Amino acid sequence: MALADPLGAGLPQSDRLRAFGIVALNGMFDEMDANGVLRQAVELLPGDIAIVSSFGADSAVILHMVASIDPGLPVLFLETGKHFAETLDYVETLSRHLGLTNVRALRPDPEDVRRFDPNGDLWETDPDSCCHIRKTEPLDLALAGFGGWVTGRKRFQTADRGVLPHFELTSDDRIKVNPLAYWNDSDIAAYRKAHDLPEHPLYAEGFRSIGCASCTSVVAEGEDARSGRWRGRNKTECGIHFDVNARIARPLPVAEATVFSNGRFIADPWRDWAEGDAADGVRYTHVPLPVFLEHRETFLKNPHPLGLLVAPGDAIESVAGDLGRFASVAIAFPAFTDGRGYSTARLVTERYGFVGEVRAVGDVLIDQIRLMRRCGITAFVVAHEPTRAALADGRLGDLPVYLQPVGRDEVPVGSRRFLRRAGPSA
Amino acid sequence: MYRYDEFDHGFVKARTEEFRDQVERRVAGQLNEDQFRPLRLMNGLYLQLHAYMLRVAIPYGTLSATQMRRLAHIARTYDRGYGHFTTRQNIQFNWPRLKDVPAILDELAGVEMHAIQTSGNCIRNVTTDAFAGAAADEVIDPRPVAEIIRQWSSVHPEFTYLPRKFKIAITGAPNDRAAVKFHDIGLMASANAQGEIGWAVHVGGGMGRTPMIGKLINGFVPHADLLAYLESILRVYNRYGRRDNKYKARVKILVHEEGLDAIRDQVEAEFEAARGGVLTLPQTELDRIAAYFVPPEFAEVATEFDLEVERRRDPAFARFVENNSFPHRQPGYASVTVSLKPVGGAPGDASAEQMDVLADLAKKYSFGELRVSHEQNIVLPHVAISDLRDLHAGLVAAGLATGNIGSITDMIACPGLDYCALANARSIPVAQELSRRFADPARQKQIGPLKIKISGCINACGHHHVGHIGILGVEKKGTELYQITIGGDATEQASIGTILGPGLSAEQVPGAVETLVDTYLLARASPEESFIAAHRRLGDAPFKEALYGSR
Repeated sequence: MALADPLGAGLPQSDRLRAFGIVALNGMFDEMDANGVLRQAVELLPGDIAIVSSFGADSAVILHMVASIDPGLPVLFLETGKHFAETLDYVETLSRHLGLTNVRALRPDPEDVRRFDPNGDLWETDPDSCCHIRKTEPLDLALAGFGGWVTGRKRFQTADRGVLPHFELTSDDRIKVNPLAYWNDSDIAAYRKAHDLPEHPLYAEGFRSIGCASCTSVVAEGEDARSGRWRGRNKTECGIHFDVNARIARPLPVAEATVFSNGRFIADPWRDWAEGDAADGVRYTHVPLPVFLEHRETFLKNPHPLGLLVAPGDAIESVAGDLGRFASVAIAFPAFTDGRGYSTARLVTERYGFVGEVRAVGDVLIDQIRLMRRCGITAFVVAHEPTRAALADGRLGDLPVYLQPVGRDEVPVGSRRFLRRAGPSA
Repeated sequence: MYRYDEFDHGFVKARTEEFRDQVERRVAGQLNEDQFRPLRLMNGLYLQLHAYMLRVAIPYGTLSATQMRRLAHIARTYDRGYGHFTTRQNIQFNWPRLKDVPAILDELAGVEMHAIQTSGNCIRNVTTDAFAGAAADEVIDPRPVAEIIRQWSSVHPEFTYLPRKFKIAITGAPNDRAAVKFHDIGLMASANAQGEIGWAVHVGGGMGRTPMIGKLINGFVPHADLLAYLESILRVYNRYGRRDNKYKARVKILVHEEGLDAIRDQVEAEFEAARGGVLTLPQTELDRIAAYFVPPEFAEVATEFDLEVERRRDPAFARFVENNSFPHRQPGYASVTVSLKPVGGAPGDASAEQMDVLADLAKKYSFGELRVSHEQNIVLPHVAISDLRDLHAGLVAAGLATGNIGSITDMIACPGLDYCALANARSIPVAQELSRRFADPARQKQIGPLKIKISGCINACGHHHVGHIGILGVEKKGTELYQITIGGDATEQASIGTILGPGLSAEQVPGAVETLVDTYLLARASPEESFIAAHRRLGDAPFKEALYGSR
C-alpha cells in the first residue's frame, strides 16, 4: 500500500514540506487506530520523520509502536539538563528494552545557557524562557532536518489539547502527527499491560506527567495528569507545541485535495499549476499540457518531480515522447458527460506505456469510476460527498465481468473466451 | 439464436443490481435528476411527456417466443397492456413506474434481455436485416458478427460518454433492408479480390435535423479486424466529435466538417496501432458464435403454391401472401411479416394479447423465432409455405392479418406529440388518417410499393427523410404544420427526400398525399414502375407543381 515515493525522499526536505503544504490528512483517519496513523505518517515521510519523546510516564506506548514499525526511526529526547535521574535511567532501560537504535539526546546550546541561565534558576524566575532555551530552541534546530514529527500528546490531557487532531500542519509547513490523540488513560494502561512495558520509575511514586525535575510535582488522586507540571503557574505547555499563534496548530481541512488511490484516501502531495509558477523550479505540480509544450525545454531541465494535466481537447500525442518525464498524469473531466478523458487514459497507459500514477480530476462520480479504472486511471480526486463515502466504504461500483478487453492488466476469466475479462480487483 | 451462458447472465444480473441501487439512490434523494439522467438513460429509461418510458433492447431484432411472451407479461403487469416496437428493433413501454423498473429488468434478465445502452450517448443496440439468416439474397448471415459487436460494445468503458448516441447497423444482403447508410456506422457484406467475405464500412450516415448518407470509409475490412476498425472509428469520434452543440455532435457532422479523407487518415492511423492486437477476432470465436445461429431443421415440404387459385378462394389470404411473405433461402419456406400497421392503428403498437399470439404462432410455425423489423413490424422468419394458411388464420383471429407490407399504409411513424416531450406535432393521428384514406386493398395494390414515413419533429425518429413520401411535423406560430418531402430512400440506393414547399395543416396532409399518389399514377411509365423509380426518372417538378401549382 505504500506510495511510490510520493514526496520524493531524495529532495531537500524543504521541498517535501512545501509539497505537504497542501496536504489534508484528517477525517480519513478518524476511524484509524494509533498504529495506522503512525504507519501512514512513516510511509508518507520516509526517512523524514522523527519521534519526539520525553521518556515520561506514558512514553513507552508510542515508543513501542515505533519500535514495531522501525526501531531505527530517529527518537529525539530533550536532554534539558534538568531531568530526574530516574528519567535518564529510563531512557537507557526503555531504549534497550524496545531495541530502539536511534535515540538522540538534544542538549541546549551551552552559549544560551551561559547567557540566560548562568545560575540554573531561570525555571524559577521565567519558566517560559527556561523552556525556550532548553527545549524549543534545541528542538527547532533538530527538526530543521525533518519534514514531520510525532508526539505522544493526547486530547484528554488538557483543555487546549481537547481539539487535537491526528495530523496538524504547522506554520513552518511541517506535519505534526499525534497518533494517540484520541487515547485516554485506560487505553494507555491497557496497552502498557498488554505489551508488558516497563514503567517509568517515578510513576509508582505518583508522578503522572513527567518533565524536568524542577517543574514537575506529584499529582493527587482526581487531578489532571499534567496538573503536576509547572504547578502554581499559569502554564500548561513548555512551548514546543505552540504554533506561531501560541495555540495548537489548526487541524487540516478534511475534504480538499485528498486523493483516492490503492483503495483508500491518502494525502495528496500534488498541487495545481498556478499563475506565476516558474517552469524551472516548480515541484509536485500538474503542469497543463499547453504550458508544458510552451516551455518544454525549461521543464525538461527542471530536476523536480512533475505531473502533467491533460484537458479534454489536448493532443496527448504531442507529449507522447515526454511522458516518461512525469511522475503523474492528471486527466481532467470538467463534466462527467465529457468522455474524451477515457480515450486519453487508454492512450497514455496502453499505447504510450506510461506506468506512473494516472489520476482523474474534476467531475468524478462513483458511476464513472469503474469505467475510469478499466481505462487505466488509478487515482481519483473526488469532491462529490456521496461518492467519497462510497469509495471510503470500498464500494467502487465495479461489475464483476466485462465483455471487451481494455487496459493492460485485466485478467481473462473462466472460459478464457475471446473478449471476456474479469473486473479489476478492488 | 444466441443463448446467454453463465458469463452473460452474471453480466446482466450485475448490471441490473447496479441500476437497482441507482434507482434507490435516486428515490432517496442521493442522486439529483442531473446525476441520475445519464445513468437511467444508459439503462433505457427516458422521462417522457407523461411518464417514464423504458426501452428494451432486442439485439439485432431477434426474439424467441419465450421472450415475446415475457414482453407481453411485462406489458400486462407493469404497463397499460401494450408495447411499442421501434424503428431500431427495440420495444418501448410507455407507462412504467420508476420503482417498478428494477423488477422489470429482473423479468427481462430472466429471459436473457436487458435495457442496457438503449439510450444515452453510447453505442446503441446493433440492428440488422429482419430477414437475416433467412433471406434468399443473403451473402452472409450478419447475426454472428452483430452479436460479437453487441458484446464488444456492451458497457465499453471508453465509449460510454460519447459526444452523442452512436448507432451501428449491419446487413449481409446486397439489398439493404437495415438502412445501413443512415447509421453512424453501416456495415455491408463485401468481397475482396480473393472472393473472401468481409465488410464495407460506411460512416457518418444519419437522419435527424441534418440528414446525411453514410460515406464509404473502407471497402473491405476482414472479420478478424472488424472490432479493431470499429474501435478506431469510435476513438476518433470520441476524441474529436463536437461537444459544444448537441445538434452537431453526431459523427456525421464530424465527417462532414473534417472531410471523409481527413477522418479516414485518422481512423487508419488508429487502426494501424490497433490491428493485430487483442481485438483481433479469432476464427474459432466467430465459429463458436455462428454455431448459435445455425439454420433450424427445415422439413422437406411442398414448395408449390398456386396464388391464382388462392386469390379466387380467399383474396385476403392471397394479398397477405403476396405482400407479407418474403423469399426464403430454403425451398418450401418463406419469411412472413406481420403488420403492426392496421387501418386506423398506431404504427408499431402491439397489445399484450397480440404479443402472446405472436409468440404462440412463432412457436408453432417459425421454430420459436421472431424478428422486429426496422419498419416496426414483426417477422416470423422461417415459415413453411404449407403452413401459411394456418398461420394466416391465426393472425386473422388476433387482428394481425393486415396484408399491407410494403404498401402505402405500411407507414413508419414516431410517437409524436401524443407521447414525446420533443415533438412539435402529432404523428400517430396523421398516420391513422392516412391508413383510413388508403384502406382499400385494391387501391393499395394499384399504387404498389410506396413508403410513407412520418416524424413529429426535426429529430426524424419517423425517418421522414427516407420516405418515398416523408411528412415532417413542425410548429409555426403555435400551430402544427407538416412539411412534405419526396424522393427519400433508405436502401442501398440511399437518398434524402427534398421538401416540396410550405407546410400544410394536418387536415390538408391526406389530400396532399393523394395528390402526389395520383400524380405518380398518371405519370408512371408502366404499372411496374414504382413510385420511387418514377420520381427518380421525373424529379420533383411534376409533384411540386401538382401540390403547389406552377408559379
